[in-house]
Amino acid sequence: MASASSQQPIRTPRRPLRELMRRFYVPLMLAPVVITIGVLFVGALFVALLQSFGHAPLYGIQEFPTLKYYRSLFQLPGFWSSVALTFYYAIVPTIVGTILSVYLALALRKTFRGKGFVQFIYKLPLMIPYLVGVAVTIVLFGNGGIVARSLFALGIIDSTGDFPRLIYSHAGWGIMFVYVWKQVPFTTLIVYSVLMGLGRDSEEAAATLGASKWQTFWQVTLPQIMPGIVSATIIVFAFNFGSFEIPFILGGGFPNTLPVEAWRAFEDADYARRLRAMAIVMFIGLMSGAVLFLYLWTYRRFERARGRQ
Amino acid sequence: MTTTTPEVRPSRKKKNLSNDRLGPFGRFYVTLMVGGVLIPFIPLIIGSFAFRWTWPDLLPSKWWWEARATARLPQGWDYIFSPVSRVVESTGNTILIALIVTAICTIISLPAARVIAREKFRGKSFIEFFLLTPLIIPEIAVGLGILVTFIQLGLAGTYAGIVLVHLIPTIPYMVRVLTSVFQGLSRDYEEQARVLGAGPLQTLLRVTVPMILPGIIAGGLFAFLISSNIFLLTFFIGRGQIETLPTLLFSRVSGGGALDAVAAGVALIVCIPGIILLVITERFIKEEVFAKGFGG
Repeated sequence: MASASSQQPIRTPRRPLRELMRRFYVPLMLAPVVITIGVLFVGALFVALLQSFGHAPLYGIQEFPTLKYYRSLFQLPGFWSSVALTFYYAIVPTIVGTILSVYLALALRKTFRGKGFVQFIYKLPLMIPYLVGVAVTIVLFGNGGIVARSLFALGIIDSTGDFPRLIYSHAGWGIMFVYVWKQVPFTTLIVYSVLMGLGRDSEEAAATLGASKWQTFWQVTLPQIMPGIVSATIIVFAFNFGSFEIPFILGGGFPNTLPVEAWRAFEDADYARRLRAMAIVMFIGLMSGAVLFLYLWTYRRFERARGRQ
Repeated sequence: MTTTTPEVRPSRKKKNLSNDRLGPFGRFYVTLMVGGVLIPFIPLIIGSFAFRWTWPDLLPSKWWWEARATARLPQGWDYIFSPVSRVVESTGNTILIALIVTAICTIISLPAARVIAREKFRGKSFIEFFLLTPLIIPEIAVGLGILVTFIQLGLAGTYAGIVLVHLIPTIPYMVRVLTSVFQGLSRDYEEQARVLGAGPLQTLLRVTVPMILPGIIAGGLFAFLISSNIFLLTFFIGRGQIETLPTLLFSRVSGGGALDAVAAGVALIVCIPGIILLVITERFIKEEVFAKGFGG
């Protein structure tokens, strides 16, 4: 630092280009990613936003600004069921998956036989597309699937009709199974690496001071891994909320989740429906953003109440 | 630790030992989780070799190799590897797209990661948050907006279009991983190289790049994996004209009803890049890299 500033007055007059580079060093280095994300990501959101308010000259629609595409959403039959289903399929697996993951991460810290293999293999679902999880779910939980056949072999059910509809139904067991199956490794990996970074000193101190296992977990370990859990759940929830292919394949038909309904509206032969699709998509972003904002806000308040920044 | 005499703190030592071994419930739980990962693949593998597998048989009544001689059309794995199934073509597309995405993503993320890791500047936390937003805004919200624009620009259904959209989900991970790599790299070596008379380019190529290469490889592997696993954006922008492994699998499993042998086989093939990367990353990637990226 000191040497750089002492050189500056000598260099400035001789090398104006270098001085310019120095001044714009940070923006120049950031520009490639910021522009890419800005143009593609923000640009896309902006286009969707404009269209949802009635600006689509390509289809001969020039009603900007109008709220009629949003208003038409709320009058759509089944729209609020879609909203409820979207929340349901997103929240339940996030909570269940997080609990399973935290316990798995804690277990992975301890020693047991075959630990190397377990640490390797549990990450497999993380590495493969969600659609493999969908294929696996159909094979396992379909009405003629392996689970149903095993129950039949055991004499528990008499026909495929006796088996509860786990997939292609609104209850969404199959959908939520895919999310949990695929996301437990992700959350576990994050929580586990946070745990590794922490070390065990504070837990050992708590144990020495007489805290029970349960107390140590709630009052020492959990608060420390909370930042990791929060970031993992945010990513997982946002994904589940906007996920398309899983409810599209494994869902129970109309009404389906908001992303599926958005796609259907977009693929409709009537081009005006595309604007409704954009309104749905904006609604998804808004809802997801609102939930995550509330979640983070609550978490921050909780942290502040505990006296952490 | 081992040299402490048991008389000094017998209770604590015992407690620590029992604390480090996983109890019976924990072992049961871990077994269950590993079973949950692996067992679902068994029917998938069996299914891919089945010719006839009707209710309520637990195993196929006729296998693919038994039917091969008599069937008029290629069956099971024969079909999968025939040009009709588009599996080979999709694999090629997946790898090609992922390679280009990884290269571009790495090149544009490196300077940003370096600056974020080392410099203090105004709006830094905003930039960091901005670069993470693609992870928390649902993909479909972006997908439709991009699709409309790309149709207008003639980018829909092209490789260029798919590569561009794949940058959106890969950049956030790449920047996070590379930022933590630069944070772990002390400036001292680069400064020493400069003091000893190396030019900026020489320093970059001879000192910085070799030192961060493992990190770049780790980030690159992840970008490759993310790109090769993307379904939604490829499906939207590819418009059925460019098929990758995930979109091919989608067309195979989205029919409703049970899963046929070809779908099971395709599902297994789709896993291959992930399995290879899982094996490689075991050697390369320290798990702490993730912690740094996600609030550790």
